[in-house]
This record gives sequence, structure tokens and C-alpha cells, in this order.
Amino acid sequence: MRLTVPDRYFYFLPWALATLLVAGIVHIVSVLLMPTLAPRDALARLAAYVRTTDQPQGLVLLPPMAPGSETLPFEDPAFAEAVCVYDLTKGPLRVATAVDGEDLLALSFHAHAGRIYHSMTDRSAIKGKIDIVVGDANQIDALASADDEDAPPQEVRLTAPTKRGFVLIRSFAKRPSDQERARNRLRAVTCQRFDLPQG
Amino acid sequence: MKFKPYANYLSAGSVMIAGVALGLFATLLSLDSGYGFDPLRAGPWTAWPKVGGADIDPYARAVVSRSGEAPLGRDQGLAFVARADSSGAPLDADCEYRIVDPLPAARFWTLALATAEGRLIANPAERYGYSSVDVLRREGGAFEIAVAREARPGNWLSPGGARGFIVVLRLYDTPLDVESNPDPNSFPKIVKLACA
Repeated sequence: MRLTVPDRYFYFLPWALATLLVAGIVHIVSVLLMPTLAPRDALARLAAYVRTTDQPQGLVLLPPMAPGSETLPFEDPAFAEAVCVYDLTKGPLRVATAVDGEDLLALSFHAHAGRIYHSMTDRSAIKGKIDIVVGDANQIDALASADDEDAPPQEVRLTAPTKRGFVLIRSFAKRPSDQERARNRLRAVTCQRFDLPQG
Repeated sequence: MKFKPYANYLSAGSVMIAGVALGLFATLLSLDSGYGFDPLRAGPWTAWPKVGGADIDPYARAVVSRSGEAPLGRDQGLAFVARADSSGAPLDADCEYRIVDPLPAARFWTLALATAEGRLIANPAERYGYSSVDVLRREGGAFEIAVAREARPGNWLSPGGARGFIVVLRLYDTPLDVESNPDPNSFPKIVKLACA
């Protein structure tokens, strides 16, 4: 017996719905897994560059941007950049510099998998200084409990959502001839791991 | 109806294959269409303020980790991208354009050309963009930037040998409200002049 046309539709309808369901699941899973699986995300690119230099930790200046030798895509060519790739398992991190209030210095704190958990420019510096401590939740708690109650901490404390991440520091060169000056301002930034106070 | 023992297996198999293909296609399509939800649009310019914040959505995270970029933080400024001119036609490196002010309020701005993948474009002048400080202005502060392969007097950006390009306008320390679309008249116009 041959199927009539409406019967055919009823036969295919559940299969079509199943196809859409599978497609929906695959779509959602692939979007959510992309940050974990993407092999060449910003952290991977920066970590790969840092490994080629002789400074395994601390602040590393990125090479001047030129066609074909950009470390990251979609960066502003008017900026000089430095990066501090960190791993908090060995201890918290302190990022500090003095600012002159005139030249734009922008700091962004990136967690693993494409999330910025803090960003600022030199405008939000306190008394001409940027002093930021990055740690995981336990390290920040330990710092807070070690605080002297009469002397509030001078630094800004950030809880990083992931152990691995990077701090990107961008220094604006108003004119192409200011590039060296912008790079010198990056050299004045420190980014160092430190040990938690004992006790 | 004649009973076919393999028909259901066959259908289930094709459902799986078609579903996976369709799902991956939807992912590619959605990742190529921008950085997730809530874009700000002003004329040809588009920015995604959520990309630079901790509340970034999963689509934007997928796009950013696939391209490998480190977006501008929300508290640093906004990056507007133009892939078309002010009339809506896609930017073509064979054509000549003028980018004319005004610009929204910001402490500094920069305007640069890039490839669609965010790379710098090699050009004989080795000039990739202008900033609010080094752009040449007429009396009164107005300016215009020429985009053409051949040299132009004044502010000139060249798409070099690239076939297509995008224009990226970055506003640093801008008071621009990101909750609603800004006034397109406060953004630069990209006017097409002639095509080779």
C-alpha cells in the first residue's frame, strides 16, 4: 500500500523535529565550547610570544605593530603595547606604575576564554599611581585578613575568575614619532608576582 | 505498509548527520555576523560594548576566542567598526572615500584601516591610521581623511593592495551612553567619491 501525501508528512515530521533538536544542541554546545577549544585565542598568542623572549615572567613589550607581524588582531596601530601573562597558582600579582595624567595608558585584565574582568585607563589612577593586586579568591581573602585595620590598603584588589590570564597594557603614541616615548612609559610599568604575608 | 527493518536506522543516521551539519552551520553563521547581542549602531558604525565587560555573552566570547583578539575594555573606550559607507554599500578598495567629521566626544580618538580579519594593511606611506592629535585640521577644527590607493594631499590612508578593508574608529575615555543608539549625525560620514 502506498502512503498518501498527508501520511508521508506525518512520517517525516518527527524526523524533521529530531533534526532541528540535534542542530540546536550542536549549535549551543559548539558556541559554548569555542572559548575552551579555540587553539589560537589571545592568551595562547601572547603566551606563545612571551615564550620566544628571554623573560618568562613579568612585563613583556610586544614588538611594534607592522603588517604581517601583529601579535594580536584588531589592535590600534597608534599604541605601543606590553603584556603580562600570569598564572596565579604560584602567587598573586602586583601591577604598578606612576602616571603623568596626560598620556593615555590603558590596562585591561583578561581571564582565560575571552573575558575582561577589569579595565581602566590612567584617568582612574589614585594620586598619580596605579597599584593593582590580582589574586584568586583565597589569595585576596588572605590579603584582606592580614590588613592592618588602622591603615587601609593603598592598592586596588581584583579577584581573577581564572588562574591563568593576562594583563594587557596599551600606551598611546599621539603621533607616530611618539612610539619610543610610549614604549618607555610601558617599561616603567612593573608586573611582579609576590609572596603572601605569612601568618 | 511493507516493513523495512533498516528504514528507522537510516532515518536516525541522516537526522544525526543533518543535525550536526545544520548546527555547525548555524554556529559559523552567527559568529560571522558580529560580536553577539546588543550592538550600538550609528550610520555605518557598529560597536559591541558588552564585549569589553565581565558580562560578555557566549556568542561574543566565541567570536573573540576564535579570532584571537583582546577587545577594548568597557571602561577604556569603544571601538566602532564600519564595513560599509554611509550609503550602505560595502567598502571597496578600488573606490575612493572621504571620511568627514564630526566625531563624538572622547579624550582621544583614533581612526584606522584594517583588513576584515583585523590585520594592518601594508601601504607605501606606512600610515595605518590617524589620531585626534595628529590629524591635519582646517581652520575651526574640521578635518577630512581621504581613503584612496594613490596619494592624496592632506590626511591620506591607503588600502594598499588589499581587496577590501574596514575602518575602525576607537573612542578612548568617551562619555558616550552605551544604553541606547547614539545620534548618527555625531559620527563621521564615509562618502564614496569615485571607483577605479
